[in-house]
Amino acid sequence: MSSKRDLIGRSVADWKKSEHHGAGTWLAERLTSVVLAVLTLWVAYSAVKLAGGGYEAALAFVKAPLNAGLIGLTAIFAVWHMYMGLRMVVEDYFDKREGLGFYLFLIFLLSLVLLVATGAALYLVHQAA
Amino acid sequence: MSQTASGKPSPTPRRALSPHLQVWRWHITMFSSIMHRVTGFGSTVGLIMVVAWLVSLALGHQAYTAFLTFAASPLGMIVWFLLSLGGFVHLTGGVRHWIWDLGAGFTPKNADQLAFWSMAAGLVLTLAFWACLFASGKVSL
Repeated sequence: MSSKRDLIGRSVADWKKSEHHGAGTWLAERLTSVVLAVLTLWVAYSAVKLAGGGYEAALAFVKAPLNAGLIGLTAIFAVWHMYMGLRMVVEDYFDKREGLGFYLFLIFLLSLVLLVATGAALYLVHQAA
Repeated sequence: MSQTASGKPSPTPRRALSPHLQVWRWHITMFSSIMHRVTGFGSTVGLIMVVAWLVSLALGHQAYTAFLTFAASPLGMIVWFLLSLGGFVHLTGGVRHWIWDLGAGFTPKNADQLAFWSMAAGLVLTLAFWACLFASGKVSL
Protein backbone atom coordinates (compact mmCIF):
# COMPACT_ATOMS: atom_id res chain seq x y z
CA MET A 1 0.00 0.00 0.00
CA SER A 2 1.55 3.25 -1.11
CA SER A 3 1.80 5.96 1.50
CA LYS A 4 0.69 8.46 -1.14
CA ARG A 5 -2.69 6.76 -0.97
CA ASP A 6 -2.92 7.40 2.75
CA LEU A 7 -5.07 10.45 3.43
CA ILE A 8 -3.44 11.19 6.78
CA GLY A 9 -0.03 10.94 5.19
CA ARG A 10 -0.76 13.82 2.89
CA SER A 11 0.72 17.16 3.76
CA VAL A 12 -1.33 20.20 4.60
CA ALA A 13 0.15 21.88 1.52
CA ASP A 14 -1.36 19.14 -0.62
CA TRP A 15 -4.81 19.66 0.87
CA LYS A 16 -4.60 23.39 0.38
CA LYS A 17 -4.10 23.14 -3.37
CA SER A 18 -7.84 23.40 -3.97
CA GLU A 19 -7.81 26.73 -2.14
CA HIS A 20 -6.06 28.26 -5.15
CA HIS A 21 -7.17 26.18 -8.10
CA GLY A 22 -10.62 24.68 -7.43
CA ALA A 23 -12.63 27.86 -8.00
CA GLY A 24 -10.73 28.67 -11.18
CA THR A 25 -11.75 25.44 -12.89
CA TRP A 26 -15.31 25.77 -11.62
CA LEU A 27 -15.56 29.30 -13.01
CA ALA A 28 -13.97 28.29 -16.32
CA GLU A 29 -16.52 25.47 -16.69
CA ARG A 30 -19.34 27.98 -16.23
CA LEU A 31 -17.80 30.61 -18.48
CA THR A 32 -17.22 28.14 -21.33
CA SER A 33 -20.69 26.60 -20.91
CA VAL A 34 -22.43 29.99 -21.18
CA VAL A 35 -20.39 31.00 -24.24
CA LEU A 36 -20.90 27.58 -25.86
CA ALA A 37 -24.66 27.62 -25.27
CA VAL A 38 -24.82 30.70 -27.50
CA LEU A 39 -22.24 29.50 -30.04
CA THR A 40 -23.75 26.02 -30.47
CA LEU A 41 -27.11 27.61 -31.35
CA TRP A 42 -25.23 29.59 -34.02
CA VAL A 43 -23.59 26.33 -35.17
CA ALA A 44 -27.00 24.62 -35.39
CA TYR A 45 -28.41 27.59 -37.33
CA SER A 46 -25.41 27.53 -39.70
CA ALA A 47 -25.75 23.77 -40.17
CA VAL A 48 -29.37 24.25 -41.31
CA LYS A 49 -28.22 27.01 -43.69
CA LEU A 50 -25.32 24.99 -45.13
CA ALA A 51 -26.77 21.46 -45.27
CA GLY A 52 -27.02 20.18 -48.82
CA GLY A 53 -25.60 23.44 -50.18
CA GLY A 54 -22.47 21.92 -51.69
CA TYR A 55 -18.76 22.75 -51.67
CA GLU A 56 -18.85 26.31 -53.05
CA ALA A 57 -21.48 27.50 -50.59
CA ALA A 58 -19.61 25.95 -47.64
CA LEU A 59 -16.34 27.53 -48.80
CA ALA A 60 -17.96 30.96 -49.17
CA PHE A 61 -19.44 30.57 -45.67
CA VAL A 62 -16.06 29.83 -44.05
CA LYS A 63 -14.38 32.60 -46.07
CA ALA A 64 -16.66 35.25 -44.60
CA PRO A 65 -14.57 36.93 -41.84
CA LEU A 66 -17.38 36.93 -39.26
CA ASN A 67 -18.05 33.21 -39.77
CA ALA A 68 -14.33 32.37 -39.67
CA GLY A 69 -13.99 34.31 -36.42
CA LEU A 70 -16.98 32.57 -34.86
CA ILE A 71 -15.67 29.16 -35.99
CA GLY A 72 -12.33 29.93 -34.32
CA LEU A 73 -14.06 31.16 -31.17
CA THR A 74 -16.31 28.08 -31.07
CA ALA A 75 -13.29 25.80 -31.47
CA ILE A 76 -11.38 27.48 -28.64
CA PHE A 77 -14.28 27.38 -26.19
CA ALA A 78 -15.43 23.89 -27.22
CA VAL A 79 -11.92 22.44 -26.88
CA TRP A 80 -11.40 24.23 -23.56
CA HIS A 81 -14.73 22.89 -22.24
CA MET A 82 -13.98 19.42 -23.63
CA TYR A 83 -10.53 19.43 -22.03
CA MET A 84 -11.95 20.20 -18.58
CA GLY A 85 -14.81 17.72 -18.94
CA LEU A 86 -12.75 14.77 -20.13
CA ARG A 87 -10.11 15.55 -17.51
CA MET A 88 -12.71 15.56 -14.74
CA VAL A 89 -14.12 12.18 -15.79
CA VAL A 90 -10.67 10.59 -16.06
CA GLU A 91 -9.60 12.03 -12.70
CA ASP A 92 -12.75 10.56 -11.14
CA TYR A 93 -11.99 7.00 -12.18
CA PHE A 94 -8.21 6.62 -12.47
CA ASP A 95 -5.40 7.40 -10.09
CA LYS A 96 -1.70 7.78 -10.82
CA ARG A 97 -1.03 4.03 -10.75
CA GLU A 98 -3.85 3.31 -13.15
CA GLY A 99 -2.53 5.38 -16.00
CA LEU A 100 -4.00 8.77 -15.06
CA GLY A 101 -0.97 10.57 -16.50
CA PHE A 102 -1.29 8.75 -19.80
CA TYR A 103 -5.00 9.56 -20.16
CA LEU A 104 -4.37 13.20 -19.28
CA PHE A 105 -1.68 13.28 -21.95
CA LEU A 106 -4.11 11.82 -24.53
CA ILE A 107 -6.70 14.47 -23.65
CA PHE A 108 -4.08 17.20 -23.99
CA LEU A 109 -2.98 15.75 -27.34
CA LEU A 110 -6.57 15.57 -28.66
CA SER A 111 -7.18 19.18 -27.59
CA LEU A 112 -4.00 20.33 -29.30
CA VAL A 113 -4.77 18.42 -32.53
CA LEU A 114 -8.30 19.86 -32.70
CA LEU A 115 -7.08 23.43 -32.20
CA VAL A 116 -4.20 23.11 -34.68
CA ALA A 117 -6.46 21.43 -37.25
CA THR A 118 -9.07 24.20 -36.94
CA GLY A 119 -6.44 26.91 -37.19
CA ALA A 120 -4.75 25.26 -40.17
CA ALA A 121 -8.07 24.73 -41.97
CA LEU A 122 -9.11 28.36 -41.46
CA TYR A 123 -5.68 29.49 -42.68
CA LEU A 124 -5.85 27.29 -45.79
CA VAL A 125 -9.34 28.47 -46.70
CA HIS A 126 -8.30 32.10 -46.39
CA GLN A 127 -5.01 31.57 -48.24
CA ALA A 128 -6.77 30.32 -51.36
CA ALA A 129 -7.86 33.39 -53.26
CA MET B 1 -10.51 8.00 9.77
CA SER B 2 -9.57 4.89 11.71
CA GLN B 3 -6.41 4.76 13.80
CA THR B 4 -4.61 1.85 15.42
CA ALA B 5 -4.03 1.67 19.20
CA SER B 6 -0.47 2.87 18.76
CA GLY B 7 -1.79 6.07 17.20
CA LYS B 8 -0.38 5.29 13.77
CA PRO B 9 -2.78 5.64 10.85
CA SER B 10 -4.06 2.36 9.45
CA PRO B 11 -3.65 1.79 5.72
CA THR B 12 -6.58 3.10 3.72
CA PRO B 13 -8.39 0.31 1.88
CA ARG B 14 -8.17 0.44 -1.90
CA ARG B 15 -11.46 1.77 -3.21
CA ALA B 16 -13.00 3.55 -6.17
CA LEU B 17 -12.27 7.27 -6.35
CA SER B 18 -15.86 8.01 -7.39
CA PRO B 19 -19.05 5.95 -7.50
CA HIS B 20 -18.99 3.70 -10.53
CA LEU B 21 -22.07 3.10 -12.66
CA GLN B 22 -23.00 -0.20 -11.05
CA VAL B 23 -23.36 1.05 -7.47
CA TRP B 24 -26.32 3.34 -8.13
CA ARG B 25 -29.91 2.44 -7.42
CA TRP B 26 -31.99 3.44 -10.44
CA HIS B 27 -33.24 7.00 -10.20
CA ILE B 28 -33.92 9.68 -12.78
CA THR B 29 -31.38 12.12 -11.32
CA MET B 30 -28.76 9.37 -11.40
CA PHE B 31 -29.70 8.66 -15.01
CA SER B 32 -29.50 12.33 -16.05
CA SER B 33 -26.16 12.69 -14.26
CA ILE B 34 -24.74 9.71 -16.16
CA MET B 35 -26.30 11.00 -19.38
CA HIS B 36 -24.58 14.36 -18.86
CA ARG B 37 -21.24 12.56 -19.01
CA VAL B 38 -22.30 10.30 -21.88
CA THR B 39 -23.59 13.26 -23.93
CA GLY B 40 -20.50 15.26 -23.02
CA PHE B 41 -18.38 12.46 -24.44
CA GLY B 42 -20.68 12.30 -27.47
CA SER B 43 -20.16 16.02 -27.97
CA THR B 44 -16.42 15.36 -28.08
CA VAL B 45 -17.05 13.00 -31.00
CA GLY B 46 -19.30 15.66 -32.54
CA LEU B 47 -16.54 18.26 -32.21
CA ILE B 48 -14.08 15.92 -33.93
CA MET B 49 -16.61 15.39 -36.75
CA VAL B 50 -17.18 19.12 -37.26
CA VAL B 51 -13.43 19.79 -37.29
CA ALA B 52 -13.07 16.93 -39.82
CA TRP B 53 -15.72 18.68 -41.96
CA LEU B 54 -13.77 21.96 -41.78
CA VAL B 55 -10.46 20.27 -42.61
CA SER B 56 -11.99 18.41 -45.58
CA LEU B 57 -13.36 21.72 -46.82
CA ALA B 58 -9.93 23.31 -46.56
CA LEU B 59 -8.29 20.42 -48.40
CA GLY B 60 -10.39 20.99 -51.50
CA HIS B 61 -13.29 19.71 -53.54
CA GLN B 62 -12.15 16.09 -53.64
CA ALA B 63 -11.62 15.75 -49.89
CA TYR B 64 -14.94 17.49 -49.24
CA THR B 65 -16.77 15.08 -51.53
CA ALA B 66 -15.05 12.16 -49.78
CA PHE B 67 -16.19 13.46 -46.39
CA LEU B 68 -19.76 13.91 -47.64
CA THR B 69 -19.76 10.36 -49.02
CA PHE B 70 -19.88 9.32 -45.38
CA ALA B 71 -21.53 12.38 -43.82
CA ALA B 72 -24.47 12.47 -46.22
CA SER B 73 -24.99 8.70 -46.31
CA PRO B 74 -27.82 7.05 -44.35
CA LEU B 75 -25.30 5.84 -41.75
CA GLY B 76 -23.82 9.34 -41.59
CA MET B 77 -27.29 10.79 -41.03
CA ILE B 78 -27.86 8.42 -38.10
CA VAL B 79 -24.49 9.45 -36.65
CA TRP B 80 -25.31 13.18 -37.06
CA PHE B 81 -28.72 12.61 -35.49
CA LEU B 82 -27.20 10.91 -32.44
CA LEU B 83 -24.48 13.57 -32.18
CA SER B 84 -27.04 16.38 -32.36
CA LEU B 85 -29.19 14.60 -29.75
CA GLY B 86 -26.15 14.27 -27.49
CA GLY B 87 -25.21 17.91 -28.04
CA PHE B 88 -28.68 19.27 -27.28
CA VAL B 89 -29.22 17.02 -24.24
CA HIS B 90 -25.81 18.13 -22.93
CA LEU B 91 -26.81 21.75 -23.56
CA THR B 92 -30.07 21.47 -21.61
CA GLY B 93 -28.26 19.41 -18.96
CA GLY B 94 -25.89 22.37 -18.70
CA VAL B 95 -28.85 24.69 -18.15
CA ARG B 96 -29.85 22.38 -15.29
CA HIS B 97 -26.39 22.89 -13.81
CA TRP B 98 -26.78 26.68 -14.07
CA ILE B 99 -30.08 26.44 -12.17
CA TRP B 100 -28.31 24.43 -9.47
CA ASP B 101 -25.51 27.01 -9.45
CA LEU B 102 -28.11 29.65 -8.60
CA GLY B 103 -28.99 27.57 -5.53
CA ALA B 104 -32.33 26.33 -6.87
CA GLY B 105 -33.75 22.92 -7.71
CA PHE B 106 -32.20 20.90 -4.92
CA THR B 107 -35.28 19.40 -3.25
CA PRO B 108 -35.80 15.78 -4.38
CA LYS B 109 -39.06 16.71 -6.14
CA ASN B 110 -37.54 19.67 -8.00
CA ALA B 111 -34.41 17.72 -8.86
CA ASP B 112 -36.53 14.92 -10.38
CA GLN B 113 -38.57 17.39 -12.43
CA LEU B 114 -35.46 19.23 -13.54
CA ALA B 115 -33.83 15.98 -14.64
CA PHE B 116 -36.89 14.98 -16.65
CA TRP B 117 -37.54 18.37 -18.26
CA SER B 118 -33.93 19.05 -19.14
CA MET B 119 -33.71 15.76 -21.03
CA ALA B 120 -37.14 16.31 -22.63
CA ALA B 121 -36.10 19.81 -23.73
CA GLY B 122 -32.93 18.38 -25.26
CA LEU B 123 -35.01 15.92 -27.26
CA VAL B 124 -37.43 18.66 -28.36
CA LEU B 125 -34.53 20.89 -29.52
CA THR B 126 -33.08 17.97 -31.48
CA LEU B 127 -36.39 17.22 -33.19
CA ALA B 128 -36.88 20.93 -33.96
CA PHE B 129 -33.37 21.09 -35.44
CA TRP B 130 -34.06 18.11 -37.73
CA ALA B 131 -37.50 19.47 -38.61
CA CYS B 132 -35.72 22.65 -39.81
CA LEU B 133 -33.20 20.56 -41.79
CA PHE B 134 -35.90 18.55 -43.55
CA ALA B 135 -38.13 21.61 -44.01
CA SER B 136 -35.29 23.36 -45.85
CA GLY B 137 -35.73 20.69 -48.52
CA LYS B 138 -31.96 20.26 -48.87
CA VAL B 139 -31.75 17.29 -46.53
CA SER B 140 -33.61 14.08 -47.27
CA LEU B 141 -33.27 10.42 -46.49
